[in-house]
Amino acid sequence: MAESEARRIDAEDYRDRTPNKVTTKNSLVSMVFRSLLLQASFNYERMQACGWLYGILPTLKKIHKDPEDLKASVKMHLEFFNTHPFLVNFIMGLIVAMEEGKENRNTIRAVKVATMGPLGGIGDALCWLTFLPITAGLGASMVLGAAEPNPAGPVLFLILFNIFHFALRFGLMRYGYNTGVKAIATMKEQTKRISHAASIIGLTVVGGLIASMIKLKVAWVITVGQATVPLQEKVFDAVMPNLLPLLYTLLMFYLMKKNYSPTKLIFLTILVGLAGKLIGIF
Amino acid sequence: MDITFGQIILVTIWAFIIGIDQFNILLHIHRPIVTGLVVGLILGDLNTGLITGATLELVAMGMVPLAGAQPPNMVIGGIIGVSFAIISKLPPETAVAIAIPFAIAAQGCVTLIFTAFSPLMHTADRWAEEGRFDSIASLNYLGMACHGAFFALVTFLPLYFGAASAQSIVESVPAWILGGLGVAGGMMPAIGFAMLLKIMLKKEYVAFMLAGFILVTYFGISILGLAVLGACIALYDYYAKGGQEAPKKEVRHHGGI
Repeated sequence: MAESEARRIDAEDYRDRTPNKVTTKNSLVSMVFRSLLLQASFNYERMQACGWLYGILPTLKKIHKDPEDLKASVKMHLEFFNTHPFLVNFIMGLIVAMEEGKENRNTIRAVKVATMGPLGGIGDALCWLTFLPITAGLGASMVLGAAEPNPAGPVLFLILFNIFHFALRFGLMRYGYNTGVKAIATMKEQTKRISHAASIIGLTVVGGLIASMIKLKVAWVITVGQATVPLQEKVFDAVMPNLLPLLYTLLMFYLMKKNYSPTKLIFLTILVGLAGKLIGIF
Repeated sequence: MDITFGQIILVTIWAFIIGIDQFNILLHIHRPIVTGLVVGLILGDLNTGLITGATLELVAMGMVPLAGAQPPNMVIGGIIGVSFAIISKLPPETAVAIAIPFAIAAQGCVTLIFTAFSPLMHTADRWAEEGRFDSIASLNYLGMACHGAFFALVTFLPLYFGAASAQSIVESVPAWILGGLGVAGGMMPAIGFAMLLKIMLKKEYVAFMLAGFILVTYFGISILGLAVLGACIALYDYYAKGGQEAPKKEVRHHGGI
């Protein structure tokens, strides 16, 4: 067990393990601008993965001179990713520092997964539920509060909101990168332990995400004589709420292990959705 | 008030721009309060535009995308609401009511785009294998173009054909198609998670995944709280174990005794 595990970790190591520092102040700025397209190819399966890759792709190209390493890195960054679109820059700085340090890919992946969920939650609370209502409310009150609507309201809203927006992005990008660089030395010695610790956090979060992000409920009501039984409330929720999202994830996991391609699974899911809606299961 | 074709085109262009801004770049020019200013200027009634936009902004305030769940689309609500408040001289609330079928249609378009881009991720995987990295990057431009184009379309229809006939066009799409795609979209993150699990899930981590699932399902704990809890366990594990290989040997010794 221990031996096969050691081999697996090795397979996720970069072939060229010489650290390669390519990041400058300017390239951090350019990554912030590229990260504005984080959700450009948003989709239900991988969410922001492809947009995330877009943000760091030029940097990855500079870091990995070995074509196989670059390929492996790009593929890893195409895996599921979803976080808050402003706070993503912290993770970006951190991950770029780890890529420069040629960390093991299991560690990089685990750190990504462990940070994306909590930052998503913090970002929602900070940006969408605090700063946006404050600035937009200020703008709206300038328009509605005066006898003559004041066109400065929307303009002030945009200025205030974007000062906050970009201060957050640039600040977090630099902070994330510096944190990553400082942590690299420890990470190098402790690769396996850090990967293990981050995997614990990561999988706890993934378990929580399965419960909160997958929406699957049946609307089917069985009529037995005069009694009507709504399947969702009376059967599935009675066994365990979120049972169906968990089962569907495990089914996908199982089929993937049976070498079903994810493309097949997507079309299967679309088919289930359409057919289910047509005959009234959902 | 009559609206000229040129004005329709300008409002449609604004819809294209803010259709992009609501997902990308996020300068927040897509908020109704800004749309009120811009559409008010285009249609030549700044005061009505500003007041309607600001009123809709207060309505929209709570409607933001949280944890990936899409609320009623207030971008379309804003642009159609403000337009009809000016064109038909309607009070803001009535103007928004006109916008609701189109907000639902826009929501359907968003679901459609987010679903349609899922299979493209596997094209991206293949391109990664072939080393066509710039092609992968350009998928993002395609996505932005789709975001803009669909919002422009949903805005153009009611402005050009009039709200009533545009509504019948929108409603001619069978409900089960949009509904079914919505259901499929809700299930699809399962595939993304399954891929992560396939790579990350070793036997020793199964318990943590289940614990995370149970804590959210039964106790409604936030993802941040969950992550902190996970971090507590990870920290304990990290410091309690010391070396990585050593403890395993120790266990074996104990087993021997």
